[in-house]
Amino acid sequence: MRENKRTCRLPSGSLAAILWSTTICITIGSAGAGEKEVKTPIYVGVTQCTKCHQGEEMDYQFCIWLTSKHAKAYSALAKPEAKEIARLSGIPQEPQQAAMCLGCHATGSQAEEWEKDETFHIEDGVQCEKCHGAGSEYMTESVMTDRKAARAAGLMMPTTADCMNCHKVKGSHVAVLKSRKFDVDQAWDEIAHPNPSLWKHPKTKSLPKPKDSNGAKYIGSHACGQCHKGPDMGYQYSKWLGGPHARAYAVLGTDRAREMAEAAGVRGNPLKNAACLRCHTTVYTEPAGVTDTHAISEGVSCEACHGAGSEFALEAVMRDHQGAVGAGLKEVNQATCMKCHADAHGKPFDYDKACQQIAHPKKIAKPTAAIHYKTPLYMALTPNGQQLYVTCEASHVVAVIDVESQRKIAEIQTGRQPTGVTFHPSGQWAYVTNRLDDSLSVIRVADRKVIKTIRVGDEPHDVLTDKSGKTLFVLNASTDSISVIDTGTLDEIKRLEASRSPWALDLSPDGKRILVTHALPRLGKFRTAPVSEITVIDVERAVVEDRLVVPQTNLLMGVAWHPSGQFALATENRTKTLVPMTRLLQGWTISNGLAIIWQDGRVDQVLLDEPNLCFPDPTDVKITPDGRLALVTSSGSNRIAVIDIERLIDVVEQATDDEREHVLPNHRGKPTEFVVKHIPTKDSPRGLLITPDGTTAFAANSLDDSLTVIDLKTLEAVNRIDLGGPKEITKTRYGERLFHSANITFHRQFSCHTCHPDGHVNGLTFDIEPDGIGSNPVDNRTLRGILDTAPFKWEGTNPSLQRQCGPRLAVFFTRIQPFTPTELSALDTYICTIPRPPNRYRPLGAELTEAQRRGKVVFLRTRTNDGRLIPKERRCVNCHFPPLYTNRTRQNVGTKMWLDRESRFDVPHLNNIYDSAPYLHNGTADTLEEIWTRYNPNDQHGVTNDMTKDQLNDLIEYIKTL
Amino acid sequence: MPFVYTEWQHFTTKDGLPNDHIFAVKADGPRVWIGTEGGLACYDKRTGKFRTWTEKDGLPWRVVSALDVDPKTGDLWLGMFGGGLARFSGGRFDHFHQLNSGLVNDVVYGVAVENDNVWAATTAGASRYNTVKRKWTIYTEKNAPMEEIWNYGVSYNDGKVYLGVWGSGVLEFDVATERWKDYLDPDGEMEIDLYRDDGIVHVITTGTSYIDRVLWVSTYFGMCRYDGRHWRGYYAKETGLPSDFGNAVKGRSADEAWYATDRGLAAVMDFKTDTWVTYTMDPKTHKGKAVVQRGSTVLKTIALEKTIPHNYVLWTEVDGSDIWVGTSKGLAWAKGSGYYPRLKAVVDNRAKPDASLTTGDASK
Repeated sequence: MRENKRTCRLPSGSLAAILWSTTICITIGSAGAGEKEVKTPIYVGVTQCTKCHQGEEMDYQFCIWLTSKHAKAYSALAKPEAKEIARLSGIPQEPQQAAMCLGCHATGSQAEEWEKDETFHIEDGVQCEKCHGAGSEYMTESVMTDRKAARAAGLMMPTTADCMNCHKVKGSHVAVLKSRKFDVDQAWDEIAHPNPSLWKHPKTKSLPKPKDSNGAKYIGSHACGQCHKGPDMGYQYSKWLGGPHARAYAVLGTDRAREMAEAAGVRGNPLKNAACLRCHTTVYTEPAGVTDTHAISEGVSCEACHGAGSEFALEAVMRDHQGAVGAGLKEVNQATCMKCHADAHGKPFDYDKACQQIAHPKKIAKPTAAIHYKTPLYMALTPNGQQLYVTCEASHVVAVIDVESQRKIAEIQTGRQPTGVTFHPSGQWAYVTNRLDDSLSVIRVADRKVIKTIRVGDEPHDVLTDKSGKTLFVLNASTDSISVIDTGTLDEIKRLEASRSPWALDLSPDGKRILVTHALPRLGKFRTAPVSEITVIDVERAVVEDRLVVPQTNLLMGVAWHPSGQFALATENRTKTLVPMTRLLQGWTISNGLAIIWQDGRVDQVLLDEPNLCFPDPTDVKITPDGRLALVTSSGSNRIAVIDIERLIDVVEQATDDEREHVLPNHRGKPTEFVVKHIPTKDSPRGLLITPDGTTAFAANSLDDSLTVIDLKTLEAVNRIDLGGPKEITKTRYGERLFHSANITFHRQFSCHTCHPDGHVNGLTFDIEPDGIGSNPVDNRTLRGILDTAPFKWEGTNPSLQRQCGPRLAVFFTRIQPFTPTELSALDTYICTIPRPPNRYRPLGAELTEAQRRGKVVFLRTRTNDGRLIPKERRCVNCHFPPLYTNRTRQNVGTKMWLDRESRFDVPHLNNIYDSAPYLHNGTADTLEEIWTRYNPNDQHGVTNDMTKDQLNDLIEYIKTL
Repeated sequence: MPFVYTEWQHFTTKDGLPNDHIFAVKADGPRVWIGTEGGLACYDKRTGKFRTWTEKDGLPWRVVSALDVDPKTGDLWLGMFGGGLARFSGGRFDHFHQLNSGLVNDVVYGVAVENDNVWAATTAGASRYNTVKRKWTIYTEKNAPMEEIWNYGVSYNDGKVYLGVWGSGVLEFDVATERWKDYLDPDGEMEIDLYRDDGIVHVITTGTSYIDRVLWVSTYFGMCRYDGRHWRGYYAKETGLPSDFGNAVKGRSADEAWYATDRGLAAVMDFKTDTWVTYTMDPKTHKGKAVVQRGSTVLKTIALEKTIPHNYVLWTEVDGSDIWVGTSKGLAWAKGSGYYPRLKAVVDNRAKPDASLTTGDASK
């Protein structure tokens, strides 16, 4: 290794990078003027540790590691079991590329490329530096022999508690591997590798090398592994890494090897004995050229069988088999193996069986294609009324329905998770928002081709054009903004500020105004009722004209203007967060209704819940062209409510102002006056569409992969259009249906989805238990990526999802018979597979920005700005340990308030933390900044009060990348 | 002869302003936003009516010290003295302060919208907030040539952000390259100008205004103009400036700029001929006058019934042909009916024409 690599390596050679590096080197743990500069440690890899920590003199420490499971941790991710664990956990990537898996199965997985020396290989699994810290600054002999200096330079000496950061029981792993409970003490003994009491360095400060010779050189397995990896190459490298050949050298350092050697009459240390090394290394006893990348510790590597690789390892050569053979690539046959395995140690050798064991074909059988449902969400009709476009979230397509025949005639592949869809007034183009890709697909209707995909804000959920078709408005649900796009150039002209999670929009009949609903309420003061917003856009100027307030509501979703333009209707949820959830029995903890938004900005509210017949999760509303009827979907009860609008307006207008403000919004006796019918649908209807002639309505049954067709004359469901989804209902799909169904709750008032829309949060803080009004308020937490984050609940009292969603749900939320074991199992399976969206602040593989990089230094710091040592338990990374960024313990971070009974709370994971405000156990922190500026006066939630404002900003920029 | 504003209208609390101490004015089409010591006001030029917001109405902080409008979204950004930053959008105030956001400090002197970013000049550095990416960047002595971090003013135009910094002159931020350039007084911190026109007149700068590639600067010890190559210093003793104590500046063009000083309002109406018009108010009679000068030579004094409501001028804003003036005793609207730039041989307002003062013979 080049000596200069042991200092800060730069992300690039730019002057800015050099300046940055200088800053960061000085800043980390800066102990003030005059103190020694501390440099950023970088990972050097196990091969560097091996130089000293090997051999008899060091009690075979390297061999102990290489024969342990830690050395195979990365290669284990190539196994089918790893894929299954990832699937169960809602991790869509290859396990070997998923930060969540690599966080425990590799070393330095969170490090940027510049933080890894060229001697470091992530494929080496859980290496020395995983537990002992990046080694560049303490690895030199002079530092390592001075324990105090080594610790100061970054050497960490882990305890069993540190092991538990990765080894705590994970539901996903238990489910697949059926693994026993992890006994940390036993494991500690198994991997124990103490320095001998009279330790001394090996005489040779590196592993021995064969005598040099001319000709092709051995280049080491890592070189082969650069190409022969991943599913496209049959995980060949990982297969070797996880096999016995990779440990052939290391086993010579075991007691067993020494016994066998002695029994065979071999004198001395097997690790140094040519008779042993002949077959336990790739090349040692024969004169052979080797490069710096080769080490005999690799054991029997690729080149042991396939020949020295320097001449054929180039991709261009390897792609030409004959050329590769000409360059030294050896054909492998039985004779190759028998050189070593013939009568080895008196053991019989079954060639065929051995071949099966180490088989590493390039092509492997493709796993059975996962079942992809359609999950239709929203619809739009071509301006000529002939075709219906339906976004299918789970299969990433738009289904095209022929309206006349009521059959699916085509599918158009879009971006991932298509949600909103609309047509250009000319009918030439359709626009589709892709929620997972943060993009908008532009479809040319004539040939049903996506002709362009443009980047918009995060999680775009709905889209609409103005009347002229010149301007598109796209709602970005995760960035709380509205992209304004010129349809001519498809450039984003500007981005308007919305409220939280803009969801749906509708254009007024005169084309002058757009109303925008929001799924999440505004961030409000602690212990106040939620307030939602309807944003009014001046279409001509494309600016926000007004922001209407809808008190005591959340989940404003569907919205539709009345043809008269005098008012619009929006679906709403009224969640009473100030009283215990157990007040559900009184029937009004979570109620469902409609907002009536008048042209002058006044907003009325009415319920759709009736005394014994609730209307859970109203998600969309549409009004017939004659203005006579409104249709509203209830995704929680698989029904559509038909509302007589004249009667609805009568109810409102006949009420006094006081009644309109205080009585109607909570009056469950009123809906019978204007709801004229309930029409059953299939599972979880979401979007609605009414044809311009007012004869037909369509409802998208998201969990039935179908559309319900409604005759608006008879108000009957007359057809089910099959969108072609799988007929099989998997356990996960069954769980998804349960999640979205209100059948489990008392009076069927709400579903799991009500509080966790789309598996995420509803932005509210709840009073759950009947222990006094307002006692123990808890912020709603996301279900995205929840599986391995047990225990659950802010007080950490629920050890499993089974308990969380079973008895606890029944006692505190649903108030009726709990789920059956079968239902519970399906529900939990579904919840575990709710994926985390990709991190928007650090796309997969992207380097950190300068601010994020500085923030990472703060996150990992061990000293304050004035040089004081930060106790380990008050360092960010101690509790928020990667990859989940929680150590899954309860901690007292000084946030207990007068309403709380506990002072210790569950450490939340930080993945995608930016999109789940508010924060802290009781949701008192509206922003990440407030966690430390307001609620950490005594440095209990990490030592932060010495930090400058720019350091805090940097820390937050980094935290957002996790 | 330059154009002289003769039609003035005053507004005080009697007319509906929440407070008479006017710190900031921002013209926005038919509306004019006014930041005062006691709240925010909006004057509708079509109706002649004020609408006001105080803390009771959701204004996050009483003292509105700076204003700017995002030309794309129409959102109003407010700098608040001790209260941080706020966005006023569709009737909703969003409050950003040093506890709930990345804003470096709550004492905000200046605010400027630059593309999708909002800049805040604060007493502890400058903040830049990207409204699309929701990202805050702080500029202090750590990452900008900011010898002092007390930022008095910020302005943006044509790809350049300018900070006026107490003790650190003017800092220029090039948006395209994200690089800084500093303009410091070559005479150091001395309050005299040893070599005239050698650079900015003093490092205690209060305001900047960049237009037509010309930077206009106000300081507590004189004003100046920079065309990218040459500096020009302005002092009361040799120009129409009523004082060297400048609170703010607003450039209308490369030839015309308006200076708010502690003793009145002065405008360079034609740079090339060094022609000024100075507006002051007689504290005893409350009547005003406009003095036309070429350099230190008075060409004409025009008595007016009204000019500015008070001589302590804190802010000035160009609104088409009109000028708005914020003072410590009310707001003034100078109506520029018949306004013309630079000089004219014949004028159509109350100033009598002077045949010798024409654009054509400006060199005389």
